[in-house]
Amino acid sequence: MRIGVFIPELVRHLFKKPATVDYPFIKQELPPGFRGSPYLKPETCIVCRACERDCPAEAIEIISINEAEKRFKMIIHNDRCIHCAQCVDSCPTDAMNMDTKFEISDYDRHNLKMEWEYVRAVIKPKSAEPKS
Amino acid sequence: MKFQIPIGPQHPALKEPIGLRVMVEGEIIRDADLRLGYNHRGIEKLAEQKTWIQNIYLTERICGICSHSHTTCYVQGVEKLMELQVPRRGLYIRTLVSELERVHSHLLWLGVAGHEAGFDSFFMYTWRDREIVMDILETITGNRVHYGINTIGGVRRDLDELQVKKILDSLDILRKRSEYYKNLGTTEPSFVARLAGVGYLSKEDAIALCAVGPTLRASGVPRDVRKDDPYAVYDEIPFEVCTADTCDVLGRTVVRIKELFQSYNMIEFMLKNLPEGPIAVRAPRRAKPNEVVSRYEAPRGENIHYIKSNGTDKPERLKVRAPTLGNYAATIKMLKNGFIADVPLIFAAIDPCICCAERAVALVDARTGEEKVVPMLALKQLSQKIYGLNARKREVEWPL
Repeated sequence: MRIGVFIPELVRHLFKKPATVDYPFIKQELPPGFRGSPYLKPETCIVCRACERDCPAEAIEIISINEAEKRFKMIIHNDRCIHCAQCVDSCPTDAMNMDTKFEISDYDRHNLKMEWEYVRAVIKPKSAEPKS
Repeated sequence: MKFQIPIGPQHPALKEPIGLRVMVEGEIIRDADLRLGYNHRGIEKLAEQKTWIQNIYLTERICGICSHSHTTCYVQGVEKLMELQVPRRGLYIRTLVSELERVHSHLLWLGVAGHEAGFDSFFMYTWRDREIVMDILETITGNRVHYGINTIGGVRRDLDELQVKKILDSLDILRKRSEYYKNLGTTEPSFVARLAGVGYLSKEDAIALCAVGPTLRASGVPRDVRKDDPYAVYDEIPFEVCTADTCDVLGRTVVRIKELFQSYNMIEFMLKNLPEGPIAVRAPRRAKPNEVVSRYEAPRGENIHYIKSNGTDKPERLKVRAPTLGNYAATIKMLKNGFIADVPLIFAAIDPCICCAERAVALVDARTGEEKVVPMLALKQLSQKIYGLNARKREVEWPL
């Protein structure tokens, strides 16, 4: 029976850099596909409501402001959003996108709401192909 | 002289709420009783109100550690209902993520075992190495915990050359570190002495009590869904079912360390034999009326989802049997005739995930033992009545 075999490993780690990062001062690079918060590019939205229908958290709301002018308003309730990016996958015209922000906490949930008011775009949706 | 000691639902030794009543004689446990339901969230009922696609993200949130296990189990079932043929590249990526998840879950468990055994430097080392896997998962899926890579009919993201190279490089570091943990048992006698002989579960008991996963395999039963009923691409990947015959916590540690190496080999095999082609097929929005049972070998054991469809875009019923639920009966057996100081270690050895297993609540009167069904409103009124008698003072000023 040997005692203290773990000690060399411990001593070796005394001279190593810490494994943790000095986070608020040093920010780590995020991977390119990181799923942050969803945002809308209003100029390409055709108001097909696919994102609203597929959102698991019911965080997306599209309301009609003026039927004649075809003006719509999209509200993303980021307090409800679970950052799954299903809206990005469901969107046929690439109008929904994800940013890479993750420091989005707030004292009031209503501050997290994001709104866009826009006229419906007239773009033909891409043929029905699964998005990769 | 016998005493009944309640452990939980809130207790420093437990990470999640579960009620455990142990009957002790001196410091030897003679009997134990589990009380569940403190973490019930009504997920199965919620699933009936969401569409097939929305339910992927709901099932993902059943558990944080084995989030991919639950989605894969669900998605496999739905694909069977919709009669979809998933492309092979999609299946490979799905399996790759599930093996990476197994690595991260087992490393996490090793750390927890070290912590419960009083070996905290081991806990910190394994959790540091677990970060490597978490980083890989974040790069290929976009999130550290809820990967969201599954979709009905395949996966959502493809792998590129750069990512494949990065995973292969990280695997070398992980292999080297795991080799060290593997040899640690032979060189560090105190750790082994703490684990050996604790929580004995004989082979016959393990089979009779329907234990699953590493708990069952540590009792010498080579049962693994990946081998017995291969799903996805497990019939093409070479691997061995790891077992141990010591039937105690040491055996469960050995099984998990062995499985780590199997997972590294499988990940390497999958990355080197990744087929070309599409990663997903388009799924219909509705499924024909039918029912299906889907099985999946999660890091903790066999996970079962039962899904029933009724022709609409929503499931009529989703039933989840998480691996932890299968291990509870065996845990009671393991606790009996053990020491009270071993409770956290034995309990941690099944890798319990309480919130996975909480699928039902029964209200039992503590005095009469009578079971009853109570509407939510009545439950709320009852709690207001109880806590009203013992009201907390609000807005009290600091007296100094």
